[in-house]
Amino acid sequence: MSVRDIVLQICQVLAVLGLAPLLQGFILQFEERVQLAQGPGIFQPYRDLWKLFRKQIVVPETASWIYWLAPFVAFAAMLTVPILIPVLTDFPLPLSDMGDILGGGLILTLGSFMIVLAGLDSGSAYGGIGSSRAVMVTILAEPTLILVFVGITLLAKSMLPFVVNHLLVASQAVYWSPAHLFLIAAFFTLLITETDRLPIHSSTHIEVYMIDEARILEYSGPLLALLKWASMMKQFILYTIFSNVLLLPWGLSREGTAIGVVGSAAALLGKFLLVAAAVVVVDTAQSRLRFYRYQEVLAASFVFAILAIVGTQLS
Amino acid sequence: MILTHLDPLASSIFSSMAIASLLLAFVMLGSRWLKNYLYAFAAESWVIAALSATVGFFGHYPELYLVAFLTALFRGLFLPFLLWRIIQRLHVAHEIHEILQPSSTLVGGALCVVFSLAVGYRLGQSLGLSTTVAVLALTVMLSMKLIGFLMLAVRHEALSQILGLLLLENGIFLGAQILVPGMPLLIEIVVLFDLLIVVACFGVLVQYLLAHAGTTSSLQLKRLVG
Repeated sequence: MSVRDIVLQICQVLAVLGLAPLLQGFILQFEERVQLAQGPGIFQPYRDLWKLFRKQIVVPETASWIYWLAPFVAFAAMLTVPILIPVLTDFPLPLSDMGDILGGGLILTLGSFMIVLAGLDSGSAYGGIGSSRAVMVTILAEPTLILVFVGITLLAKSMLPFVVNHLLVASQAVYWSPAHLFLIAAFFTLLITETDRLPIHSSTHIEVYMIDEARILEYSGPLLALLKWASMMKQFILYTIFSNVLLLPWGLSREGTAIGVVGSAAALLGKFLLVAAAVVVVDTAQSRLRFYRYQEVLAASFVFAILAIVGTQLS
Repeated sequence: MILTHLDPLASSIFSSMAIASLLLAFVMLGSRWLKNYLYAFAAESWVIAALSATVGFFGHYPELYLVAFLTALFRGLFLPFLLWRIIQRLHVAHEIHEILQPSSTLVGGALCVVFSLAVGYRLGQSLGLSTTVAVLALTVMLSMKLIGFLMLAVRHEALSQILGLLLLENGIFLGAQILVPGMPLLIEIVVLFDLLIVVACFGVLVQYLLAHAGTTSSLQLKRLVG
């Protein structure tokens, strides 16, 4: 374990921390432009966070210690996951052997779990609705997630994201195999579900449709900023896993030199533009569906995951 | 013969495309709206066109590029366009009385795939084609044919039936591309023009049905009218 590797590991976490609002801003701006509106500019999430951090905290009278704990746990969980996955380098850095893909999934889910508890904690109607809906969607998304992990494991004979990345870079045949393509399709649906961009969601604060936003309605000031930042980082992490492990495994730093790391950060932004463009197309081109049709999308992704597992047994 | 010495990349791409077109056949089977049905058919034709181009690339059959181009042009653009025009004239957006619910039809389609897998496996063994791609191509070909038949059987709107017929033909074409890629170019062109004639005749038939029977649904066509 050299000093350089430790610095790189810190850089990975800092990259996720610093670039996550940029990704969110880009997606929001792009959605506005697709709908022929002006848009707030891609740096708006930074300004929002800055504003929220200087505001006062208003706590509901009914809130317990969970209300205080949830933002910090969610934020810390999102700071932990980047250690485990290839963000900038394609070789394992110190402490990235703490957990495999399942471990990363566990920590990601822990953050969402705490936010669900916090939504229920204050006893407000909207928080309860938001939490119950989020859990309903998660219950159906979770089996797909597990099956995607099983598919990745069967494909690469390993549960480490670095091994999957190396395998896909090394072998074109595996990259174009049906198993891998179906894993991409299944994970893309999961990505849209987990980042709250299924065509059943609404991102505004007034509609009865909202899911993830409803859970954090009771928060204000710096606590809200932490929660928002955590959700942006979750989006960034899922995009990273999707593009660096599954979709575009190329363009990561091999040597760990400074120029290579900067280059791979630039490549990462390029990949995210592609993925975000696809997500924006799904989000804007498809008209909003009834809430209870969320299961059709998730059933389709479940079928894709099953097909991927069948595909790994083909060769 | 291309299938006996196939490099792993080609085998991956072939199986991906074959499975993708089978999946699109299921989309056709499960959709309620005639338009989605048509889009799925067009997408499937594009996948098959890409498949013949890849077979041409890996098997060094330059004439398959022409076949791919013609497939994309006729099956991917021209036939869907003609059918789309018929849909516009018909004012029928979806099947009104379903004989079998789309979800039950999907289960039927899955059973067809299982049956074709069994048949394809046997057939592959008896023909000496025991590679994965060969068995997969046989399975996809047979199951697309069976799904086409299933559509002809359970759908009663005239347009769904013609799409079922086209799907059936797509299945045969896909299997032929992978299993016997050196098929003479002339046959492929003849098949394409046959399809064109089928759709043109169908357009005339729909006009006739609308004028004389007032409907294009086969459920309504049980009675003899003098």
